Amino acid sequence: MKTIFLNEWQYYLKTRLFLLTSLVFMVVLAGVTGLGVYQNQLQYQQYQEAQQHVRNQWEQIDAMNPHSAAHYGSYAFKPTTALSSIDEGIYPITGQVLRLEGHVQNEVMYSEASQMQSVSKFGKLKSALILQYMIPLLLLFLAFSSVSGEKESGRLKLLLIQGGKPTQILMGKALGVWSYGLALLLAVILVQIVVNLNSLQSDGWLRILMLSLSYAAYYFVISALSVYFSARWQKPTAALSFMLALWILWSIFLPSIFNSSVEKMFPLPSRKEFQTAMKEDRAKGLDGHNPTGKRKDELEQKVLAEYKVGSVDELPINFDGILMQEDEEYGNQVWDKHFGKNNEILARQKSFLQIGGIINPFISLQNSSMGFAGSDYYHHQDFLQQAENYRRVLIKELNDKHAFGGSKTGEWSWEADNDFYKSIPDFAYQPASLGTKLDKYLLDLLLLGAWILFSLVLLNRASKKLKWI
Amino acid sequence: MLTIFLGEWQHFSRNRFKLLAACLFLLASLYGLYNGQDLYTTQMAESEKIKETIEESKAKTLAWFENGEKGPKDRPFVNIETPYWALSYTPVYEVKTPSPMMVYGVGQAEQYAYYKQITSQASPYDADMAEEIANPERLQLGALDFSFMILFLLPLLLLIFLYNIKGSEMDMGIIKLVYAQAGSPVKWLLSRTLFYVVLAVATLAVLMLAGAFMTPVLTEHVGDFFQLFLLFTAYILFWSFVFFLVLYIGRGSTVNALSMVSLWLLLAFVIPGAVHQWVSLQQPPGYMTELIDAKRDDLQEIYDQPQEVLTEQLFSLFPQLQQSPVAQDSAKISKVMRRSLRALGNNLMKSAVEQIEANNQMKNDRIAASYWFNPITFFQNQVNKVTQTHYQNYQDYRNDIQQKVDETIELLVLDTWSEIQVDKERYLEYNKKLSLH
Repeated sequence: MKTIFLNEWQYYLKTRLFLLTSLVFMVVLAGVTGLGVYQNQLQYQQYQEAQQHVRNQWEQIDAMNPHSAAHYGSYAFKPTTALSSIDEGIYPITGQVLRLEGHVQNEVMYSEASQMQSVSKFGKLKSALILQYMIPLLLLFLAFSSVSGEKESGRLKLLLIQGGKPTQILMGKALGVWSYGLALLLAVILVQIVVNLNSLQSDGWLRILMLSLSYAAYYFVISALSVYFSARWQKPTAALSFMLALWILWSIFLPSIFNSSVEKMFPLPSRKEFQTAMKEDRAKGLDGHNPTGKRKDELEQKVLAEYKVGSVDELPINFDGILMQEDEEYGNQVWDKHFGKNNEILARQKSFLQIGGIINPFISLQNSSMGFAGSDYYHHQDFLQQAENYRRVLIKELNDKHAFGGSKTGEWSWEADNDFYKSIPDFAYQPASLGTKLDKYLLDLLLLGAWILFSLVLLNRASKKLKWI
Repeated sequence: MLTIFLGEWQHFSRNRFKLLAACLFLLASLYGLYNGQDLYTTQMAESEKIKETIEESKAKTLAWFENGEKGPKDRPFVNIETPYWALSYTPVYEVKTPSPMMVYGVGQAEQYAYYKQITSQASPYDADMAEEIANPERLQLGALDFSFMILFLLPLLLLIFLYNIKGSEMDMGIIKLVYAQAGSPVKWLLSRTLFYVVLAVATLAVLMLAGAFMTPVLTEHVGDFFQLFLLFTAYILFWSFVFFLVLYIGRGSTVNALSMVSLWLLLAFVIPGAVHQWVSLQQPPGYMTELIDAKRDDLQEIYDQPQEVLTEQLFSLFPQLQQSPVAQDSAKISKVMRRSLRALGNNLMKSAVEQIEANNQMKNDRIAASYWFNPITFFQNQVNKVTQTHYQNYQDYRNDIQQKVDETIELLVLDTWSEIQVDKERYLEYNKKLSLH
């Protein structure tokens, strides 16, 4: 097997066209990765400037009523992750700006895709585009005649007569092609590591490792299957046609079909339905600005009893702040219910899509690539959750200041000072560590593993049926 | 030539691989049409619901006028006889009515909102202008619509049809014999290629007609239908020409297949991806801080200005205010000033939006400048324009929103300063002026 493997590489290295193509590919890959990192840095710079700009505005609030400050609000900006320079996943399609204010959980806005006309259906020319679509194609071009070509030239017969075992021949061929794919993958990973060496933490290393493993697994499947079909078919063109058809099905056709289908199987509500349902539920609670009804009376009685006074005017605190917070608490339950339902549906869609990896390992690769790069739906959800948690803490702090900061009920002109606003910490998004999300990608990894086993079984079967003529 | 052309039919009908590819393409195209129709009907249904909401809301407010009530019982501070509250209770929406042509391509429709409730404080970049709720991973991959099938998969179908023409004869070493029999090699190659071009165009026609039965395309957009058909036909001819050249130069079916796939990758992935990356490097996606400033600090600055300055600014916006009854009395001015400031706030937002849209336009210009070497993006955007799902269509929609906000504010300011007491007739007039197109 080792001899076959080395022979394959000797052949690659002797072929000038191959060497030239490989060199061009390596340079393009390194360049694309470098540009991806540069673009990421530019984006991160914009993010930091926006975050700083909004923070400065907040810290410059001279004196303001806390509830006015809740309406003034803040903003959470979605940063890029270090590995989104390899695979930016859903980043261009989801919004990047989330308004954080009282009374409402907003949705993230201003996606990159909405800021221009259509340009590329498959995304920017980033490493993922080359790693997912082009390298597999290159591998199958390398492999499609690896056995059938040997049959045609009569070399296979010679190899078998010389004592080469069919399994070793096929495995050697497959490993030869695979190792070429790994070399290209390595070029991307090395550039990524070199450029980000100073900023890479243990989580980053783990992500790079897992990302590399996923691609390596997929490349093995492609290499082994191409060699299998090359061995099964007499003519190289038949193997090429079949593998090309499989590549089209796996990479272009099925992902779109699966994604569209799961969305229809588990439909999300329309925005209007979603908003109407939330509005209806919200109306059952308190309206902090115009409080009326039983809920308000109950709360009032409870607070009056707590402070042992007869009316809100006698309270040593500002009852309006308490009402506002009660309104928020109720609102939070409503948001959790409705946003939670949507998240459940999206998670179900994702799970079903992952199952698609049974017949299409490309889906498992795409999922794990986005996941390990931190640019998939689960990581986006994590950003939204952290931003919403911050919003709730921020608004509670403002409402508490309104209630217990020294004003009395009805004093809407009372203002908290600049020190108070400065003391409220800024939103600092902590990117999720891979450890907390790894379980989400287990199925993808398992299915890629299963495809490796399946490919090995096929290679083994082909070796038993290998004919030299 | 005709014999060769017809002979290709026999070759095609006997080739199971090509037949299977064609059937798969047909099925997926029908699914693509269904997806387009589904989005169209969903958006139409939402538009209808909005019309119902408008009618319900209008009837409720009219009932207050008829019963002599000032507003809802649980909101005693409301007085619908004032222009401010009457306009607040005028259900104003702007809807981008979907085109039936959407059945052929959803374009950028899923990246934008298509309805919005208008108030005097609204802007085309409000939080409710977020796109419809959808799976972001599916959105990133794009919809499997008919235009995707034609723009991205039809070239691959042509590749499957064409790659072994001449190549297989060369592989078998019978090409000279074939040429000798056919007379002219170019005619022979052209006739065989032409068969698949005709097949592709016929398939396109059949599929487009199928789409025309799914939405009222032929009754409402017959011109667009033919424009799109011509556009797609031009696209098929473009790829047919490219592949014909490959076949003409090619030295075997393997080399042909590799060359065709490489060209497809170059035109569908590499060039559009590189242009996309280049645009992002030139102008990284913005975080819209201009809008944030306009909504918060800049607006606050307006509120902090003395009344005389604000009055002057309002007069320059609406010169007719100077003759209004309120303008003659500074005490009255101070009463109406806060609500009138929306007009100045609106101007601030418009300036911020202008900056953002100028920036977006620069991106669009950069993309358009790449068309001469980026044909798929060119065709994609032309298709989006015909199906009315292009960036520009949504830009026009945002302009319509802005126009309606301007009209709402103008009514609010002019009627407030003219001390108009709103009655049922005036309320109906508001509804008429600001009604859904």
